[in-house]
Amino acid sequence: MHIPDGILPASVCIAGYAIAAPFAWYSLRQINRLKDPTEELPKASLLTAAFFIASSINIPVPPSSVHLVLNGLLGSVLGYFAFPAILVGLFFQAIMFGHGGLTTLGVDAVMMGVPALVAHHIFRVRHAFRQKLGEKLATNIFAFLAGALGLGLSAVIFFFLVITNIPSGFDAQTEQAAVYGLTLAHLPLMLIEGTFTLLLVAFLQRVKPELIERRG
Amino acid sequence: MKRTFAIPLVLMSVMGWQVKAIAHGVGITYEATEAIALQANYDSGEPMAEAQVSVYSPEDPSTPWLTGTADASGRFVFAPDPSIPGNWEVQVRQAGHGEILNIPVGGEAGVLATSADGSSEPGASAADDESDSQIASGIGDNLSLPQKGLMAVSVIWGFVGTALFFLARKK
Repeated sequence: MHIPDGILPASVCIAGYAIAAPFAWYSLRQINRLKDPTEELPKASLLTAAFFIASSINIPVPPSSVHLVLNGLLGSVLGYFAFPAILVGLFFQAIMFGHGGLTTLGVDAVMMGVPALVAHHIFRVRHAFRQKLGEKLATNIFAFLAGALGLGLSAVIFFFLVITNIPSGFDAQTEQAAVYGLTLAHLPLMLIEGTFTLLLVAFLQRVKPELIERRG
Repeated sequence: MKRTFAIPLVLMSVMGWQVKAIAHGVGITYEATEAIALQANYDSGEPMAEAQVSVYSPEDPSTPWLTGTADASGRFVFAPDPSIPGNWEVQVRQAGHGEILNIPVGGEAGVLATSADGSSEPGASAADDESDSQIASGIGDNLSLPQKGLMAVSVIWGFVGTALFFLARKK
């Protein structure tokens, strides 16, 4: 789902950086307001590692294949740490494997980081349903939703970015069909990532509940 | 009676038209030429089957010199015009994934290099093309799997180390 160098025009790449910057600033400010910002760092660092390696794990969805993104998972478990974590992860992916690119780092960060923050807020909605559904069920349901919708929103942003930026040298219809296909292939991935998030959250809740409770 | 005459008439007219078309003969000649073969793969190793390819000549980098699609195994072959030396730009794209590749053609260093008298030397270039023409695009393309694995492990260890550092400080 990473957009590599040379696919988007320069103006879109610059706009990507321009949009990513305030989100990064806002996330860092929210982190700085915590009583002890370094307290969450071990968790954030480990999940950055998970995010970094996730994109190398390909899941075949015929006719193509998709890879894990885990941005919804990062958002629900890390909260505002997710945005800088994704930024760092994307940077390493671009440098090490050429997955994504430096010119599109801003665009990719917006595409995956902003849905991660949305996922964080979706996961928070569980508090409102605590009475109705019970603690455990509410957490599980909203963990799944956060994981699935975080990825789904990224896929939608990817779809619009790519579909509106087909260069003139290419047959737009063929490319559109290919983009539709790839975006649809992300539907099963939403289920997979939602389940992943659910499992991780359920596991953390069992062994170390303060890890997810602290972030609200 | 009229009908029986009409059928051969129709037949004759159709046949006559066909014969006339065949009379416009087609002459096909062929010559061996030097071409560039691309192999486009995703970084998962899968071929970019039926990916769209645009080739831009060094003279006009804005309008495609040639467009086409790769075959089912991600291969695309084209013969650049050797009289236009310079960097030929090839764009491969499928579903928002793709790459731009610069292929130097002609001149001293490029592929399909021409000798001093201007004629190409197929024998000589074929020999050193083996190494020269393996132009890999992207950062990760010319790395082997163990190399990639080691890089991934190093980066992950960096993150785990960071985590351990802040965990230790907390105590």
